[in-house]
Formats: sequence, C-alpha cells, structure tokens
Amino acid sequence: MTAAGPGRVYDALVVGVGTAGLVTALRLAKQGADVLVTAKGVGATHLTSGTVDVLGYTPERVVNPAAALPDFVRDHPEHPYARAGLQAVGDALDWIKLQLPDGALVGSLEANFLLPTAVGVPKPSALAPETMAPGDLRNGGRFTIVGLAGLKDFYPAYLADNLSRARLGQEDNGRVEARAVTISPPTGGVADVTPMGWARRFEDTEFRKTVIAELEPSLDGGAVGFPAVLGLDSARTVWQELNDALGVPVFEIPTLPPSVPGNRMARALRAALTRAGGRVVMGGRVIGVRGAGERLEEVVVDAAARPKTYRARDYVLATGGFASRGLEMDSYGMVREAAFDLPVTGMPPNAEARWADEYLAAHPAARVGIGVDDELRPLDSGHGVVYENVRVAGAALAGAEPWREKSGEGISLATGLRAAELILERRGG
Amino acid sequence: MVEAEVLVIGGGATGAGVARDAAMRGFSTVLVDRDDLAMGTTGRFHGLLHSGGRYAVKDPPSAAECMEENRALRRIAADAIEDTGGLFVSTPWDDPAYPDLFHSGCIEAGIPVEILSTAEILRREPRLNPRISGGFAVPDGAIDAWKTVWGCALSAKEYGATILNYHRITAVHRSDGVVTGATAVNAISGEEVAISAGFVVNASGVWAGDVANLAGCEGVTVLPGKGIMIAMSHRLVHTVVNRCKKPADGDILVPIRTVSVIGTTDTEADGPDDVAIPQDEIQLLLEEGEKLVPGFRRARALRVWAGSRPLVKDDKADDADTREMSRAFALIDHKERDGVEHFLTITGGKFTTFRKMAEVTVDRMCEHLGTARSCTTAEEALPDSGHHRFYWLGARLARREETLNDDQLICECELISRRRLESAMEQRHTQNLDDIRRTLRLAMGPCQGGFCIYRATGILHSVERLDYSAANSALLRFLQERWKGVRPILYGDQLRQARLDDWIFQGLLDVEHLT
Repeated sequence: MTAAGPGRVYDALVVGVGTAGLVTALRLAKQGADVLVTAKGVGATHLTSGTVDVLGYTPERVVNPAAALPDFVRDHPEHPYARAGLQAVGDALDWIKLQLPDGALVGSLEANFLLPTAVGVPKPSALAPETMAPGDLRNGGRFTIVGLAGLKDFYPAYLADNLSRARLGQEDNGRVEARAVTISPPTGGVADVTPMGWARRFEDTEFRKTVIAELEPSLDGGAVGFPAVLGLDSARTVWQELNDALGVPVFEIPTLPPSVPGNRMARALRAALTRAGGRVVMGGRVIGVRGAGERLEEVVVDAAARPKTYRARDYVLATGGFASRGLEMDSYGMVREAAFDLPVTGMPPNAEARWADEYLAAHPAARVGIGVDDELRPLDSGHGVVYENVRVAGAALAGAEPWREKSGEGISLATGLRAAELILERRGG
Repeated sequence: MVEAEVLVIGGGATGAGVARDAAMRGFSTVLVDRDDLAMGTTGRFHGLLHSGGRYAVKDPPSAAECMEENRALRRIAADAIEDTGGLFVSTPWDDPAYPDLFHSGCIEAGIPVEILSTAEILRREPRLNPRISGGFAVPDGAIDAWKTVWGCALSAKEYGATILNYHRITAVHRSDGVVTGATAVNAISGEEVAISAGFVVNASGVWAGDVANLAGCEGVTVLPGKGIMIAMSHRLVHTVVNRCKKPADGDILVPIRTVSVIGTTDTEADGPDDVAIPQDEIQLLLEEGEKLVPGFRRARALRVWAGSRPLVKDDKADDADTREMSRAFALIDHKERDGVEHFLTITGGKFTTFRKMAEVTVDRMCEHLGTARSCTTAEEALPDSGHHRFYWLGARLARREETLNDDQLICECELISRRRLESAMEQRHTQNLDDIRRTLRLAMGPCQGGFCIYRATGILHSVERLDYSAANSALLRFLQERWKGVRPILYGDQLRQARLDDWIFQGLLDVEHLT
C-alpha cells in the first residue's frame, strides 16, 4: 500500500466511514476510481439494526414506500430523497443487495416488512437481512420469543406482551400470538455478556447444541425469535443450522447498540471496499481545507504524527449529523459543519423554537444540516453552490428526521450511491 | 380510615424531618405528600450542605445555625453526605473588600475558616480560574436530598409512622376551631382516604399557603423564589466552590455524586408549580461557570431544573427582591394567628437546617399537647448511616467490583446492578421509573437513560408483573420527563448524546408506536 505522496491526486476523497461514506467509496472503487476514505471515528453503521429502512411513517405507517415516496418528496422538497431523486432510492436498494452474498438482504421498495423491535412494535423496513425476515408480522402468526439469561439488552416477556397486541392495520391479515421463553445457556460463569459476546458464543457449534437442547422442549410450532446475536461473521450458517435443528422458522430481533447485525453490515461493506481497492485511513480529523474559487483543492487531516494534506478531484462529505459530530452546536446555539465548515441550514434562530415540548413530536432543529442542490453539492444561504466538486451524503444533509421517518439507511444508501454516480458521470462526460 | 396522633402534610426535608422527630418522640404519625417524597424544592436544590459561609456576612445568626446543623447532619446522615469541604474564592469580577468581611463573619458565626493562598487553591482544584486571588476553606459538603429524606422517612417508619406518598390532601377537617384530620386522595388509584389526627403539621413548603387555606387559615403567603440549576457531567471540581462575594446568580458549583451542579438564579416564580426554565438564565449560569472554571461552556451539561425556595412573606422586605428576604424559617402557630388549634405551619428555611426546623416544630406541638418529650434526632443516626462513614465517590465502583462476574450492570453511568435495581423496585413497589431514578440515581449519568431505561422497563415489567400498557406508560412517561430537563440545554456533546438516544428509542425501538 503506498502512502499518499505530496503530488498524488486521488480521484475522490470521501470523509466519513459510515454507511453513506462506505457506499460512495465502494461504488467509486468498483468503477476503478482511485478512492481514499478518511475518518475520525468508526461510523454509525454498527449502531443500526441491520435492516434498510427507507420510509416507515409519513407519519402514517407506510405499506409501500415506492408508492408513498412521490407524495412524500413533494411535501418535503428539502428532504434528501428529493435532492437525490427517487430513482436513486430504488437503484440504491438494488445495488446494496448485490454487494452482499446472494439472498443475504431480502425485500423490495414496493412493500415494507413489519419486523418486531425489541419492545415489540412492528416496525416498517423495506429490506431485511435473511436472518430477520421470518419475523415479518404482516400475516400474523405464532411466535416464541427467546430470551437469554445473561443478556441485559433483551426482555422477551415485555416484547411478547406488546407483540400480542400489535396493531397491524387493515391491510394485514391474521393475529399475532406471542409468548416468551428464557433459556440459560452456559456463559462460563459470566452474568453480563454483551451482544457481541453472545454472537461469538453462537458461532461455536457446541454452544449451539446446548441452546437447541434447552429450547426444543418449549417450542410450540410457532416461529422462534432470538435477540440479534446469532453470530457475527458466520451468521448465515448459525441461522440455517438453528432453522434446521429446531424445525421452525428462526429469526433475529435487533436490540440496543452496539448491534451485531449493524456490525455485520459495517464489516461487509468495509471488506467489499478493500476488495475493490479502496483505502481507508482511520483516526484522522479534518482540520482544514483549501479552496480555490468554486473548487475544493485540498483537505488537511490531523493524522497520528503530523497534519497530512490530501488532494482529490472530487470530495464527498459523509460525516453524519450531530450524533456523529459531523455537525456541532455550541452553547450559544451556533451550529457548524465540522470538517469543511460548510454552511448549515434550518436552525431556528429563537432558542425556544428549536425543540418541541413533547419529546416524541417533530422538532424543527432536528432537520438542521447541509442544504444541497440536485447534484448534492453544498449550498450557501443565497442558494449558490459552495464547491462544485464537493458532494454531501448521509445524515449530514438537512431536511430529514430519519429516526422518526424510519429512513436512516435509505437516506445514507440513496445519497451515498447518488454522490458516486454524479462523480462517475462527470468523469465519463 | 387512617388514625394517628400527628398528620404531617408535605414530604420534603422539613416534613420528613417532622415525621421522624414526632415518631421518635412516641407520637403515632402519618406523613403524606401529593407526589413522591422530595419532589418539590427539596429534590430540586444543588445539594449543598451549608457551612454557613454563604450567610457569614449578611446574616451571622443564620450562618451559626447552619454550622450547628452541618455538624448534626454529619453525625446522623453520613451515608448521604460527601465530605467535600468548601472553598470561597475571589475572581477578578468580585468585590475585593468582601474577603475581609467574610473572614470576620465566619469567625463571628463560629465557622471554622482557613485562609488559603491562590497556589494552594489551585493545587486543590486545578481546573479553577488561575486568575483567582486567594480564598478560604470552610466545612461545606454535598448532601443527597433523596437519601436524606428517605432516610428520615424510613427512620420514622421504624418508629411506627405511616408514609403515604402520592396522596394529595383535598380537605383539612376542623371541629369547633380544632383541626382533627384531613382527607387525602390517592393520586394513582383515585381512592379517597380519611385521616383522623389529633394534630396537623403543614410542612408543604411553597404550597403552605394552599394547605393553610384548606384549614381556613387565610393569608399565609409564601413567595416561591425560583432558581435554576444545571448538572454538569463529571466532577469539574471535588470541593464545593463558592464565589467570595455577596450571594448572587451562578456563584456556586457543588460536586455531588457523579456530577457538578451549578446554581442558581433567583426570580419570583409564577406560582408554586412554575418550573419553567428561561434560556437567558441558562446563559447566565454558563457565563458565571466560565468565570470559575475556564472551558465551562465546552463541558457537558446533563440536565437543568428549577426549584423554588419557600420565602414567607415579610412586609419589611421588598417583594420584588426575594433574595433579600430572610432564609430563616417561619413557624406559624395558627392558634395564635387564627385561633385554630392543633395546627402548625412550618416553612421557609433551607435544607441544611431541616432537622432544627423539625425539632422546633415538634417542641411547639408538645407544648400545645401539654406533654414534655425530648428530641433525639440530632444524635441518632438514620438507618443507612449507623456506620458514620461519609459517602465517597468510589463507593459504587468498589461495590461493583465485588460482584463483577455474578451480577449484570444495568445503568453503566451510575453503576447500578440488576440485583440492586430489582430490590429497589420491590421496595418502592412503583410503576414510575422516575421514582426509581431518584432512589438509585438510575439514568442520571451522561446518557440520561439512553441505555438503561429500556432495560429498566423490561425489568419493571417482570418485577411488578405489569401488563404491556403499564410498562409502556412507564417508559414513555420517563422519556417525556427526561426531555423536560434536557431540552433547554441541548448543545455540544449532550446534543450528540440526545441524537444517539433518539436513534435508540425511535430509530431502533420505535417507541412512539407503542400502544
């Protein structure tokens, strides 16, 4: 691997190693572009559930995202989906499925699954890992929720209690019947095992045998839901073996971060990027940029030993929102974008107007972010393009409340892929 | 029907203190509060155990009383107290003439005071502003209000008292000019409870006027003097740090448990239930914090709240300036004032002097009842404080290390294990996670429940055998209560944390669609 010499100019420099950044870099690298990803942290993909949520609520529950999106972007013209275009959303879903082993991610933009959350709410997701899809509640059914004594991040009785009363809507058939079982497989005398710790244990054949033996007598023919800890690198094998041995559909239910399925996704994308020849440099914060007119010329990163300057033809900012410190707000209420110091839009000037009184309401300040044009280029307050060779992707974008809309992965995938396509189009043209 | 010799209305420090004192003197006692114990002013202060230094210049008798009670509480409530010590430091913004007045005031009030050089102060507290010019050490401390109040309540219970939290008094009964009891309504079940009592003590703090009205004693005016406080993550200091100047807004930083609390402001509240938090007061506290600890604005603010000091109306002071009014307490004898017998109102004062206020009140009650029974509350320790060892910051970690492999850690920020949480739930027998929060400091750390509240809900569902809707309400109600305290201070790293918590509760769990 060669270090970036002083004269080297990358085709693209991506800042941020979350879903949006990885997707952009992977798409570019696969087309033969010379791509460097630089990141301060590890990204937020490992916090996600492993599902691809595109649009879950508008605020009514969305049955068919493809059908709901045109109205949604018409009503929300500043939303990242409106900026990226609806074609990008569909393309992104098709594309991400192809990046993972065949069948690992299932579903489509035409129909949301309803998958149980760890509190037993049926949550709409467009795509789901194969290990979660059998938990789909749309047709009702019987479910046994399995808890693990020693896993504090999963409460099967509470989950089953809510699941049995889940409102599935008129378009859904059947009832959900759910019950809880807690098993105590051996943990080696440790009372507090993390989800990742359980995932490692599930990769062990002998451990799985004890799980199967303990669980079998309490099954009633219904599908079996486990917390999403069924292996990290060999989840497919673990899941298939449990399906075969228990003789009923087995599925995973995501719970608190750090999430095992989120980690699987992050690792899969990183591995694919490495295979495609992309390079990732971790632990470096962007501490300065140099622009010339409408172009960004170079980026200075605070590397381990000394500041390092990188140059590229195109840049992608995928540093995330407030949660990832891509955006920062100080105690005076001033918001800034942390890496390129791009203009930030959407902040209500009056402090009292930023956040609603009700926690679960829509909050004006939640939509703060970078405003972009149709080519995902950052805009200033006069709607002029700040840098014509910079694209913004993911949670740094203004105009969305991903956790409310259930659109986080969809936004990162669609804008990430779209940013890459725009760069490729310009190179080709 | 509940029968008792004494009914105490109000479960703050004063009421719990009165209930304990009365029970220890052999009176059968009932303590009622409309909410949980210590949810009003008592649970909304910064946690300062006064040495009296703050009153040394303006009000030496109050200062002396504080010091005396500081010693008494150290004897009886060690488990609730951290012996942090206190500093009074002069910053460049403070009146240079004040330190001399302060020093002589402390000596006059009998407060042990030590003169410290700037170098010594900075050695003790390296994060303080290096531009300070000298100061003093006094025996301030930090005291946990919830532990103290529950300690008093449990002690009272050991002496036979009944504790009725979540009971709102709706009527005070009188017969021929003598108070004979009250009607309470259970705030959770709605059930009405008649309480027959030979004597009633109104210790309802900022609500004392409302309760006196129920007994037909009109015109007791308690002005709620509202102040806001901000809990900052971590211990920015390990000693209570006061500005050495005339008491004013934002002049004290109290290290308590895992946080540091900056206080406070002073405005006339819009009624006793007004806990609104104005943005300009937050900015004011941050400005003042910056003077004490440079970089304060970049530190992480966890939560903000408002509490109201009960200040009994005094015609001699200007109503507009509540800080100038006396902080000494008021014992109102309604026989003398209104010709209503067997009814006392005790209000005003400060947390540090609650035991003394209780003693004076029960003394007066004994006079009325024609019995002489002596007070022992200054000598007998509260239930968890019999060991006379002060709380120390590493206590929970030490306990955690003992059970590292055989118990789960449910609240990582405050080091609360599953067994400890389950046992608190069994003892409190509540469906309200905020009650558990105050009991254990559950969810009071940096993540403000981001991780532990989902777990606590699952555990509560099982311990209390809740149905889905009660468990869901517990979770949603907790999140809404938390929002009130974090909404006004969402910036910096706490905004970052809040976004992660949104992701967990809404993005991953979809709690907004719980039924």
